[in-house]
Amino acid sequence: MTYCILIIITTLITVLLIPFLDSKQKGNVAVLGVLINSIISSVIAIQVLLGQTFEYSFYGGFIFGSIILKVDALSAWFILLMNFTSITAILYGVQYLKVYQNQRARLSMHYGSFLLNHFAMIGIYFLHNLLAFLCVWELMAISAFLLVIFEHHKMETIKAGMNYLIQSHVSVVFIMLGIIWVSFNTGSFVFSAISQYSLSVSNPISFLLFLCFFAGFAIKAGFVPFHTWLPHAHPAAPAHISGLMSGVIIKLGIYGILRMLLLINANFLIIGIFILIISVISGVYGVMLAILQHNLKRLLAYHSIENIGIIGIGIGIGCIGKGIGNDFLQFAGFAGALLHTLNHSLFKSLLFYAAGTVYQAVHTVQIEQLGGLIKKMPHTAILFLIGSLAICGLPPFNGFVSEFLIYSGLFGAINNNQLSFTILIISSIFGLVLIGGLALFCFTKAFGIVFLGTARNHHPHNYEEPGTATLFPKYMIVVFILVIGLLPQLFIRVINGPVSMFQDESGLNQSLPKLINTMQMVSLASTAILIFAFGVYFIKKQFTRKAVINFSPTWGCGYDVVSPKLQYTAGSYARSFEKLVKPIINIHKHEGRINTIVPHPVGFASHVSDKIETNLISTPIMHLRGFVGKFTFLQNGSVQFYVLYGVVFILIAITIPFLINSAFFIFELFKQL
Amino acid sequence: MINALCLLLILISSLFFSGIVIRTKSVFSGRKGPGIFLPIKDIWRLLRKGSVYSETSSFVFQIAPSIYLASVLMAILFIPFGNIPGLISFNGDFVFFAYVLALGKFFSIIGALDTGSSFEGMGASREALYSMLVEPAFFILMGSFALFTGHTSFAEIFATLHFGSYISYAIGVLATFVLVIIAMVENSRMPVDDPKTHLELTMVHEVMILDNSGFDLGLILHTTNLKFAMYGAIIANFFLTPNYEWYYSVPIFIGAQFLFAVVVGTIESFEARFRMNHNPQFIFMLTSISLLIFMGVLLMLGKII
Amino acid sequence: MTNILLIAFTISLIYIGMANRLYTYISAIAFQGVILFGVAFIELIEINTLNLILVLLETIVFKTILIPMFLNYVIKRNKITREAEPFLTNFVSVVIITGIILGSFLMSNTIHDTHLRKIFFVVALSALFTGLYIIITRRKIITHVMGFLVIENGVFILSLAVGNEMPMLVNIGILLDIFVSVLLLGIFVNKIGDVLKEQDVSQLRNLKD
Repeated sequence: MTYCILIIITTLITVLLIPFLDSKQKGNVAVLGVLINSIISSVIAIQVLLGQTFEYSFYGGFIFGSIILKVDALSAWFILLMNFTSITAILYGVQYLKVYQNQRARLSMHYGSFLLNHFAMIGIYFLHNLLAFLCVWELMAISAFLLVIFEHHKMETIKAGMNYLIQSHVSVVFIMLGIIWVSFNTGSFVFSAISQYSLSVSNPISFLLFLCFFAGFAIKAGFVPFHTWLPHAHPAAPAHISGLMSGVIIKLGIYGILRMLLLINANFLIIGIFILIISVISGVYGVMLAILQHNLKRLLAYHSIENIGIIGIGIGIGCIGKGIGNDFLQFAGFAGALLHTLNHSLFKSLLFYAAGTVYQAVHTVQIEQLGGLIKKMPHTAILFLIGSLAICGLPPFNGFVSEFLIYSGLFGAINNNQLSFTILIISSIFGLVLIGGLALFCFTKAFGIVFLGTARNHHPHNYEEPGTATLFPKYMIVVFILVIGLLPQLFIRVINGPVSMFQDESGLNQSLPKLINTMQMVSLASTAILIFAFGVYFIKKQFTRKAVINFSPTWGCGYDVVSPKLQYTAGSYARSFEKLVKPIINIHKHEGRINTIVPHPVGFASHVSDKIETNLISTPIMHLRGFVGKFTFLQNGSVQFYVLYGVVFILIAITIPFLINSAFFIFELFKQL
Repeated sequence: MINALCLLLILISSLFFSGIVIRTKSVFSGRKGPGIFLPIKDIWRLLRKGSVYSETSSFVFQIAPSIYLASVLMAILFIPFGNIPGLISFNGDFVFFAYVLALGKFFSIIGALDTGSSFEGMGASREALYSMLVEPAFFILMGSFALFTGHTSFAEIFATLHFGSYISYAIGVLATFVLVIIAMVENSRMPVDDPKTHLELTMVHEVMILDNSGFDLGLILHTTNLKFAMYGAIIANFFLTPNYEWYYSVPIFIGAQFLFAVVVGTIESFEARFRMNHNPQFIFMLTSISLLIFMGVLLMLGKII
Repeated sequence: MTNILLIAFTISLIYIGMANRLYTYISAIAFQGVILFGVAFIELIEINTLNLILVLLETIVFKTILIPMFLNYVIKRNKITREAEPFLTNFVSVVIITGIILGSFLMSNTIHDTHLRKIFFVVALSALFTGLYIIITRRKIITHVMGFLVIENGVFILSLAVGNEMPMLVNIGILLDIFVSVLLLGIFVNKIGDVLKEQDVSQLRNLKD
């Protein structure tokens, strides 16, 4: 309990101290605050994972009921994940915001919101009381909004931020609906009230309750079709906040779904199939749209949707395994999903930080304008390369391990007695393979066009690699990526804690040794790849020590005037894919036409718009605006009219009881006739 | 150490694979053709030459061919030899196999993009698209085998695979056909791409290696040979499945590789290359046939009547 | 053995989805005729010999020889350009036909009749929907006819599934075939080439009154 009080005091002190310091000190105090909070909560989390329990409850007045502060294995995993990414985010953020030294007010609000956000997330993982959960969730949503609109002098940032705020609150509405439902029927706000309630009602009603919570958490996580805020909010936010959002804030939605799965007792088979179908659609849709984007941060945002899809596939097959009683499928599914949440937060934040460095060096994130950055920024290029290899799920990095777990589960369960399951499993395998292939396509494009080749447009001449302080958080992440990729068996043991919470009998542990064995072989194979790669390169260096090496321009088929315009652009790279998906994706092309013999300069631009967003959000908003627009005569600006409205309201409020009484009187009269 | 037998055999057969393909093509054209070991002598000559690097390229271009070779070498370690498992074998290892090959492809694609030439970008884009379309076919094929035999690693699948009824032979033939076409697509041979035409607008793999020279080019050419030998080994495993001793299996293996090389040469001599626009649906057709194989396996297991 | 032939039939359906030239369509339909000959021979071995010879002759003569010859003649005489012009790209066609095969597979699992062998049902249903798909998405009138031929082959397979118990059903299937070839192609060979100069399906709209 003292720990919690310590966390609250640290947050309060740092938040109140920040406005009074100068810019450099602000950053350091913020880092200190986040570090202290992270260390305290991580110590608690590690103790829980090692087997201790942490549970305190105190009475929160008659509104809240009893507030339980509890950390179990699931929350512990998420706490550790969140703390690591928050630390790297604030370390990188302090460096990223160095250019805004003179805007003290903006910086204080930013650092203050960061600390509040971190505190709110710790609260979400600790609290087991529904009403308190909602309060902290709201705090998290508002502080995240404040973090996103750092550059509020730009109109698009504000629009994206408002979009994010409104959709966060739609998710709060859904969650609130679920909470009201449960507390109305059971009268208390504790998490275990949900389990009691769902045990007492029939399965379809439990499923409906789960759907209610799922809708709320899915908007936060970014499942399709609730994803429309993601591609706007991530590019608008500064790079370290995009990394934080993709890495941590989205995972709050996943945490919510997993917590509800633990609490609600419904037909796991149907829930599993439902989540699986939505996740496969999210994954494939997200990555298909990502390939066609030309804004680097937007591309990474769509990839977050895809990875949430992969996590959802893991959760879905875990639920199916639980529903049909296949232990291995359940373990592999949930383990793959949980490991992928960690992996995704690692490599996605790395990619966003690298993109932020690129933006600060050349002041643009349009892929079509970049190129050849590797010559002057080799460290950033290597970091982005490692991030891309990890996100495509290639060995020996960490993305492969989680995808491999999900594949193991799927292939292990392919031999069962029901035909419809086999078809479902083969379709999920097909979906997962497609997602992997499309991700490879997308990241070869992103890395190749941004960093390789020559510059496709004029860059500022004096851009250069940022200093060690900026590179340090990114290399911290790379260490973790390599460790998880090369030594997965350690992490499987850690994951056993959270995953075994989903098991209600104790017949689970035979899957664990099998998987540990497999993971040892995987680690052996991954190390072997590294050895082979270094070995071949070493042999090559030895062989060619005496050989002559020349440098000359790229061979252009005899064409002498080599210019950067000859290179492949991002649009041309993606074109072979674009031709295949034209029926399902809206691609808008703006072409200038050449009509005269001596043409004037014409331009060509194309962009992809999200069909789901157009149909689900933009068109209804347009109609709503039209409908509400008919009532604009009520807001005519004249104060006297407004006073008139007030008077009319008071008169109605006074006369309605009389009217109702007289109506009843007349009604009685008629009844007696 | 008998597990290393397969690795050794694949390395040996890669030495003469390319030579047999070229010899077959020459014989069909009415010529006598070069010697069988000529491609290996070419590669040995290239390994001793110096290199010319492009000014626009960076260290990525210099490490890409090494990583490509390393990934293929790693993948070869998984291939079993009849009853004997490969050097590394675990449950779900064909997933690792496919992804390690994808690692090699990633590096060869970004190596091509590194030169900043429009030809290589073209090849890179096509290579990425075709490899993306061919992956589901491989996975669904392995999924059907996993369903059929009840195991999920290469070694166990090929150890327990047996052909009994008519329909299992038919499915075996279809699976061989799919594997042969997958091998042709992954190595960018006919009918997806013609290795003889040096028209850059129509190439896939050849155009990605235009700027490589010297040791790197030797590495890349030998990697193609190794890849062919590797797919030949997988196909040869279909014929090795009865419980023979390993000294009977070795000639069968070499014979199967030889036959595979002759078939590749024949397809190259008699087929015309498809139009580039036609390739995606051809490659997707492989996935459809894999799905049919899957449904055929379901039929065989009695899950549908 | 029947199963192998039916799998080959399904592969020919996918091949039709991928094909670009009209002659490929015709050779695929001829190939399907040969397959149906094999299936009919194996399945209907128990009905009386005269009926059997009639069915076998019909598949070989009509489906494999006469109708492809007719179609070739029509194409050459009306100088139809040799490309099939689809509304959707060929890639989408292959994806959709794979989806059709998968869908009919799933649908057939809901039938629990022991007298009907499922593989016949799956292949017949896929052929039916593939034929309909070809009719919907191709621009020429002659591919309209070819789609109808594919539908017919599908119906024939379904009738073969129960042919041993009800040989009359097979005969009715044959009559459908003869009806198509005589009526449609007869009109085609003689009249339509004179009335409609272009071979576009949208021209058929002009026949509306």
